[in-house]
Amino acid sequence: MFHWLEKNPFFFAVGVFLVIAFAGLVEILPNFGEASRPVVGLKPYTVLELAGKEVYKKDNCIACHSQLIRPFKSETDRYGQYSLSGEYAYDRPFLWGSKRTGPDLHRIGNYRSTDWHENHMWDPKSVIPQSIMPAYKHQFSNIADIETAYAEAVTVKELFNTPYDVDGGVALGSWEDARAAALAEAKEIAADMKNQDVKDLVANDQIPEIVALIAYMNKLK
Amino acid sequence: MNSLMIKALAFSAVLMGATIFVVKYMNVDLSDPVNLITMLGAAAIAFLTFGVAAKYINQMKTDKAEGELTDDNWDGIGEYKNELPGGWAYSFLGTIIWAMWYWTVGYPVNAYSQIGEYNKEVKAYNAQFQEMHKNADADTLQAMGESIFLVQCAPCHGETADGLSGKAQDLTARMAKDQILDVIAKGSNQLGFPMGAMPAGMASGADAEAIADYIVGGMQGQAPAAYATCAACHGADGQGMNGMSPNITKYDEKIVTQVLANGKKGMIGKMPSFNNRLTPVQEKALATYLQSL
Repeated sequence: MFHWLEKNPFFFAVGVFLVIAFAGLVEILPNFGEASRPVVGLKPYTVLELAGKEVYKKDNCIACHSQLIRPFKSETDRYGQYSLSGEYAYDRPFLWGSKRTGPDLHRIGNYRSTDWHENHMWDPKSVIPQSIMPAYKHQFSNIADIETAYAEAVTVKELFNTPYDVDGGVALGSWEDARAAALAEAKEIAADMKNQDVKDLVANDQIPEIVALIAYMNKLK
Repeated sequence: MNSLMIKALAFSAVLMGATIFVVKYMNVDLSDPVNLITMLGAAAIAFLTFGVAAKYINQMKTDKAEGELTDDNWDGIGEYKNELPGGWAYSFLGTIIWAMWYWTVGYPVNAYSQIGEYNKEVKAYNAQFQEMHKNADADTLQAMGESIFLVQCAPCHGETADGLSGKAQDLTARMAKDQILDVIAKGSNQLGFPMGAMPAGMASGADAEAIADYIVGGMQGQAPAAYATCAACHGADGQGMNGMSPNITKYDEKIVTQVLANGKKGMIGKMPSFNNRLTPVQEKALATYLQSL
């Protein structure tokens, strides 16, 4: 049999591939499947948070900020508990990033609040004098795309069984329900903000990008 | 000795010379065992290069292929039925035995874990930190408090702790007048003091104004009559009755730890909880630093 394999390089290569692939299957896949399961208590994003995630992607926060805390003491002292793969189970796509011009944001919700984000996004140097981050004033007037965020939530619910509308979880419901829920969430955040334009927009049932982004930032814990 | 051996010897001598040159002129400290071992290794490589090269070149000159051929033949290239070289065969058996050990014991028991290394590092560091700062003196606490403040607090409260013109609590003073009026009007139940919640509307109008002016003024002179309501919990001196309620005259250790543990939402905005982010020693250091401002 092996003599025959030695004479047939193609089938020999197939045999080598099968042997190595088998080792990969038994060593990599079980661990991978275990680690990528959602951690206990993890909830999917609300529609408003998803809209904020879109703002995060659109304004390219990932170019300077990572969302992955490595298990080193120097990092956990500054950012908190190291990240687990199961925490990204509902991130499609995850926004790990690979560049830290600014600090890591994976647990920013634990140590910054709505009012701080408002000051910081309007003028970063007003809170951190040495900051090189640009101001994002357009987020205070641009309107967040709640429709696309809802479509995204429905898509991941249908396609990947992301647990929306479960007991004790995040409710999604119809577009009207979701829009009302997003508005209610936005009003809570706007109540903690000081910018009058933002407050007026939210009072008129429009959600500026900054509100969605702050909802997303506060969710990152 | 033939010419080839002489060439190999010369090459070896060049390698040895290079090694000695590096040690002598590049300030290599041979008292460091790592450097010493590295240099001995370099010398051994030079010597072995000479030996192995000489052996095989000699062998190529004199060797003739002999022995019985196997039946296999690949386009004129055959294979001898030679015994396996002993060293090779025993090493092969050895790797099989080693693989059995590695499969059953070596890997499962001693597998490297990044999280394990992290846990070890943190545990060792924390033990060392606690040991070192068990009885930290005031200067150490002050310095530690300042560095903690600059990392953890300065992003919101500003490097000089002045609250960045109203964007966060001004930690160089206790409370401003409008903050006192706000908390009198709304009450507070956030910090988990033993005395419990402060009800809303304990005073109003001119009474509240008088109380606020009195507290902002550093509680000097005659207390306004309305302050009696406050004194019931915060004490006549405003010190909070030994940690039963918040100290309204300064940031003592108790109020610093309670705010860090619970966070606080006031009229300026919300401070998140810093529960478990600082050790007790660090919280004490932070309180020491805040009092020095």
